[in-house]
Amino acid sequence: MTADVSFWIVQALNALQLSMLFFLLSVGLTVIFGLLHFVNLAHGALYALGAFVGFTAATLAGSYWAAFAAAPIVVALVGVLLYWALIRRMRSAGPMNQVLVTFGLIFVFLDVFRIGWGDIALGFAEPELFSGRSELLGVVYPTYRLFIIGLGLAVLAALSLVLTRTQIGAIIRAGVDNDAMAACMGINVERVFFLVFCVGCALAGLAGAVAAPVLSVTTDMGTAILIPTLIVVVIGGLGSLKGAIAGSLLIGFVQTFGSVLAPQLAAILIYALLAGVLILKPAGLFPARG
Amino acid sequence: MFHQTPLKTATVLLLAGLAVAYGLSTGFFGLELLTEVAILAILAIALDLVAGYGGMISLCHGALYGVGAYAFGSATVLLGWGAPAGLAMAVGGGALFAWAIGAVTARTHGIFFIMATLAFGQMAYAYLFESPVFGGNDGLPGVPRLDASALGLDLNDSLTFALTCLALALLAYAVSAALLRSGFGRTLVGIRANEARMRVLGLPVWRHKAAAFGVSGALAGLAGALAAQHTMYISPGLLHWTVSGELLIMVILGGLGTLVGAALGAGVLVFLKHEVSRFTDHWHLVVGLVLIAAVLAGGRGLYGQLEHLWERRRAARRAPPETPAPDEETTGHA
Amino acid sequence: MTRLNRFLLAGAAMLLAAPSVGQAEDYKVGLLLPYSGVYAALGQEIDDGFMLALKERGGEIADAQIEVVREDTEVKPPVGLSKARKLILQDEIDVMVGIVSSGVLGAIRDFVHQSGTPLIVANAGNDDATGARCSAYITRQSFSNGQVNRPMGPWMFENGIKTVYTLAPDYAAGHQMIDNFKAAFEEAGGKVVGQEFTPFQTTKDFGPYLTKAKAAGPDAIFVFYAGGEAISFVKQYASFGLSEEVPLYGSGFLTSPLYVNAEGPAAEGVIAGLHYIPTLDTPENKAFVEAYTRDHGKAPSEYAVQGYDAGQALVEAIKSGATDKEALAAALSKVSFTSPRGPVEIDPATNNIVQNIYVFETVAGSDGLTQKLLGTVEAVRDPVNGCAM
Repeated sequence: MTADVSFWIVQALNALQLSMLFFLLSVGLTVIFGLLHFVNLAHGALYALGAFVGFTAATLAGSYWAAFAAAPIVVALVGVLLYWALIRRMRSAGPMNQVLVTFGLIFVFLDVFRIGWGDIALGFAEPELFSGRSELLGVVYPTYRLFIIGLGLAVLAALSLVLTRTQIGAIIRAGVDNDAMAACMGINVERVFFLVFCVGCALAGLAGAVAAPVLSVTTDMGTAILIPTLIVVVIGGLGSLKGAIAGSLLIGFVQTFGSVLAPQLAAILIYALLAGVLILKPAGLFPARG
Repeated sequence: MFHQTPLKTATVLLLAGLAVAYGLSTGFFGLELLTEVAILAILAIALDLVAGYGGMISLCHGALYGVGAYAFGSATVLLGWGAPAGLAMAVGGGALFAWAIGAVTARTHGIFFIMATLAFGQMAYAYLFESPVFGGNDGLPGVPRLDASALGLDLNDSLTFALTCLALALLAYAVSAALLRSGFGRTLVGIRANEARMRVLGLPVWRHKAAAFGVSGALAGLAGALAAQHTMYISPGLLHWTVSGELLIMVILGGLGTLVGAALGAGVLVFLKHEVSRFTDHWHLVVGLVLIAAVLAGGRGLYGQLEHLWERRRAARRAPPETPAPDEETTGHA
Repeated sequence: MTRLNRFLLAGAAMLLAAPSVGQAEDYKVGLLLPYSGVYAALGQEIDDGFMLALKERGGEIADAQIEVVREDTEVKPPVGLSKARKLILQDEIDVMVGIVSSGVLGAIRDFVHQSGTPLIVANAGNDDATGARCSAYITRQSFSNGQVNRPMGPWMFENGIKTVYTLAPDYAAGHQMIDNFKAAFEEAGGKVVGQEFTPFQTTKDFGPYLTKAKAAGPDAIFVFYAGGEAISFVKQYASFGLSEEVPLYGSGFLTSPLYVNAEGPAAEGVIAGLHYIPTLDTPENKAFVEAYTRDHGKAPSEYAVQGYDAGQALVEAIKSGATDKEALAAALSKVSFTSPRGPVEIDPATNNIVQNIYVFETVAGSDGLTQKLLGTVEAVRDPVNGCAM
């Protein structure tokens, strides 16, 4: 390997960038899990929807920022539809029926993408503003990747502010702790659930639009990202912001440095990590409920 | 608690009868489908045994199935030990791998158990995908079928092979039903209902769960050995988590915790997919909508719904009409 | 999927016009391709190319009727085998055409061989299929993994590249492509200073690998990636600024015309070797590109030409007078014709295609990216690789 410090700084930035992508995806999923007790396997499909909607918006408007704006809005609207048509009814239907319904949604979305956008992989460019490279900590690094890191940190800061400092945040935390009790205290839990679900969907859509310029937009991208996202959520512990960020950082760094230091094991590492964590801490590292 | 109710017996016999009639009347491709259904039914029963009765929703049964197939393939193709040894290795290998997974994950529950099993399954998948010894992602060709000429059976004949798989599926059902009716099975259901209480009663819970998972793994290994013989070729795709996912869908669609529903779900999903894909490449869309509709229509699974209607009718006949129909608590999980 | 597609090629005018050598026979062709799953786009291109060949050259065998039956492999080996059994045993096809994934080819090979059904492989590149596991019934009209990559070794060395770092997905095809390139490059005198295989279809971030490759300080990077992975790789390669320091070379699938425009400007300057590019300046290719573009609104990719040539090979075999499966298989391993990709023939020693490999650079054109031909390595023939028919 190399003893060059800048090499390790770049790899650390790579790890941070990957962690932030995971964070944007997993934070919505984990709060929906924790608050609604709802297993949304279609979360990955919503991420893919964000990427496809972003592709269309960016192509039509000729600007990346159209994708950045349209993806979270459109995906949140789809989330509203899903909530009223299915999710609300499924909340009391038990986890097995939730698995069946959201697995059905994965299948439906897969063909919606095929019919709407075709089978050929797509891509769109990063914004002009963040193209090229910048210098940071003495290394030259792709600016767009720095933007992803910054965006992830901004979302983290905003969410933690809302959760710890505002009334709605207190209500959400109360709901995660004990939703029946919160309802008894006169809180309209249904409305909070709905709001949280929509924000979670919007974040998934945003993650799709943000990841697309780095990756490619393919019909199976939602299924491919589902498992890593679930791993992040489960390792961190369900329902907590702290868990989501801890899980994201752990997976991002293990995957990046694993592929640098032990490339033969790269495919197995995150599963080994998951198994190890669950054997030692059967409810993840930072469960929201004791 | 598991009861072999008359309705259940009738459903099993009806399904078996339908399968035999279909097998005798269909062409080559129909036999391919029938064999696939019979093998997946064994696997689905194995999953329902632990998921429906032990509360252990596993996402590694595809991997157990693949381990069985690879054990059979290694014994016959790589080691040249012959099919009977391969069969034993598949059942034993599946059981051992499952027992180990069951033992180390015994403390996890719900989504955490699901993800822990997924982790072990995916590790096995990733290992075989990149392992040159087992042919990597190209897999191993040339897997032979068991020579059953001593019994007067030619397993290279499609119909004979399909009916043999069907008979083994019935056997898997009988073994699972017998196990669930034994003290072991009752304890397993007890653990699902209240693990803490069972532990306080002095039961070594983890050992019991691991043993149940091991039995399930043995059945999954058997299914894997049959799949290897059916296609005469094995590839790591057998172990992928999506196989486990689709399997779970079969079990839930058929009715979790009913055993016969698992087999029914396997049959319905395989034939539904086949029939839809005759008309469109977009079969995912149709199957997805059917799954959603199935939940909205009742959410008990196909056999669960049948049982629910049956019990309601019986109750209505027995009781005076003004008595409301009994709810799920009394009729569920018969 | 059993969308029966009766293709009636009889036409009175054509009967008079074309000097028909074929017999009045019915041929049933089974197209076994992925119509769903990750390779669905490839399956469709091959299908379109194949049907175009039948449409254009059907007149030459005008008194033969060709019926096409389609089945979807879903890119799953067991499904592929089930469907192959169905096509051969139930539909009783005379010829099978298709197969995109090497895994599916590996699964069906023994059955196809034992049933004595001729199979024209239209994509799957596993070297073994025309090597140690070759068959008198299986001819390949597409490429082998070694064939596409070997010529790049000496070509790069002669063009001043002395040291190379390689990257590819960690699966059988990835290893074959890189191993063949590496052997040829080192034989020419070059040196591979480092190589890495990335987890197949799960690697989203190539950043760690690119950083490592750059740190090794090679003259160039040589990679094999295809589809979504190719798009991610090329874009990330450019975003790290490597295009200014270490040029990118690869197997031509890296910048396939099928999806190169999704890579955008990042793909400009990438140099790769492949058996077909749509900008070849030959009359056969111009006619093909024009006909294909007219029908499908986009230029053909290498996959389309593979399907097209599978169709041409079938027409040639039928023209030679072959009527049963045995004779068709024998005729298919003797065909030679001028394809849009140049002169092609089947090597009787392996049943693999002998064809030119084109080294091309992806450059900006008047509308989107296009391919600039840099060099041609003529009539590349695979070694026998242990093939015994």
